[in-house]
Amino acid sequence: MKPLSIAVALVVLATAGSAPAAAQDSRKFSPPRTPWGEPDLQGTYSNRTITPFERPANVNGREYFTKEEVAALESRAQQGGGDDGRSKGTRQDVERAYNDFWWDRGTKVTTPRTSLVVEPSDGRVPAQTEAAKARAADEGKRPAFRGAGATGRGTDTWLDRSTFERCITRGMPGAMSPTAYNNNYRFVQGPGFVAIQIEMLGGARVIPTDGRTHVRSTIRQWMGDSVGRWEGDTLVVDTTNFTDKVLYRGAAENLHLVERFTRVGPGEIDYRVTIEDPTTFSKPWTVAIPYVNTGEDLFEYACHEGNYGMEGILSGAREEEKTKP
Amino acid sequence: MSRCRITAGVAVAATLFSWPALAHHSFSAEFDSNKPVELKGTVVKVEWINPHTWIHIDVKQPDGSVQRWMIEGGTPNTLLRRGLTRESLPAGTEVVVDGYRAKNGTNRANGRDVTFPDGKKLFMGSSGIGAPQDGKDPTEK
Repeated sequence: MKPLSIAVALVVLATAGSAPAAAQDSRKFSPPRTPWGEPDLQGTYSNRTITPFERPANVNGREYFTKEEVAALESRAQQGGGDDGRSKGTRQDVERAYNDFWWDRGTKVTTPRTSLVVEPSDGRVPAQTEAAKARAADEGKRPAFRGAGATGRGTDTWLDRSTFERCITRGMPGAMSPTAYNNNYRFVQGPGFVAIQIEMLGGARVIPTDGRTHVRSTIRQWMGDSVGRWEGDTLVVDTTNFTDKVLYRGAAENLHLVERFTRVGPGEIDYRVTIEDPTTFSKPWTVAIPYVNTGEDLFEYACHEGNYGMEGILSGAREEEKTKP
Repeated sequence: MSRCRITAGVAVAATLFSWPALAHHSFSAEFDSNKPVELKGTVVKVEWINPHTWIHIDVKQPDGSVQRWMIEGGTPNTLLRRGLTRESLPAGTEVVVDGYRAKNGTNRANGRDVTFPDGKKLFMGSSGIGAPQDGKDPTEK
């Protein structure tokens, strides 16, 4: 091959490499219908993914990973993160809890996008409002800030711990977001309802699609109040009426979520959630997560069964206090 | 694939995996990062419970006495999907546990790594779901 041909070949390779790793299928998928005529979302799905939540700094300005980057990420995940953990110090190692074998966070880049955050276009969660920052500084005075804050969690009482650690709920949209394991969901439909069983911490969302409106604003729920409707083949779910007891990235009772579930192929639901709270975020933002059909059953996760961890955390703190003057 | 692209891919991977991995509860609050332990013992029983399994082991001390330890492992759901059950680790099995001791001073530790005395990793299970490898098990390919 002449040098010029090699150069051309390299350019072609480079161009191919920067294209989306999995081209978006522009053909419209027509989902199967339930006997009563609604799009059929039913099945078991997993949303586990190694696609980053926010766009990493080293792929700034780029919406998609290259095929090579996807391969590198998956190879790295297959090797258990490629890091023994101890190289970053024992504190980080112990937070990592254990060898990757114990986890089930996935080894696949289920979307070649460089972030699950798709709006705003920089792939990052928008800045918090000044009011939200002020609330965070006042942490401890409101129920949601006492327990659910990601940083500076206390150990005086179980109430200082997050609702996730307390086996209560991950809240919304936490319960619909991937975590380290139990990333499994079952969708069941009946006329006028869609139910989503959630493996992590258990429970189910029962979403009416019969045209009803939200309950009155004085009624507050851990998972909010969801009402659904069909827009074409997409299930649109509007959720409000949250409590102040669960915190999601600084937001609590003023959260407003709009979720969209669209079956984009025989084995996948495109899930999108737009997160809005003018008291917390400078603008609304949207996360898109593939829900991939597994065909596997869900298991019970009776989190309270043997939550020795809570006892260990609180009694560990009491022991540490004894060593301090 | 050019070397440059491989490097870029690895750099992205490194960034991605610098996230802290979060369990349903904070391990750094429960276990003491200043007290790493390596325990050689025999399995007494496996508590196949949520949110995490606990493996009870007897650890022989230099003076011949035996200490009972409890080792915190993964959730049964994940382990079952990896192809193992509570019977996979019968009483009497020898294991080596590498982890961190509980802050409360009891004989509890997280099972950061659990291996057999010959270095084989516990619970290799099914590879169909992409069980991660870390190169510690000599039989990993």
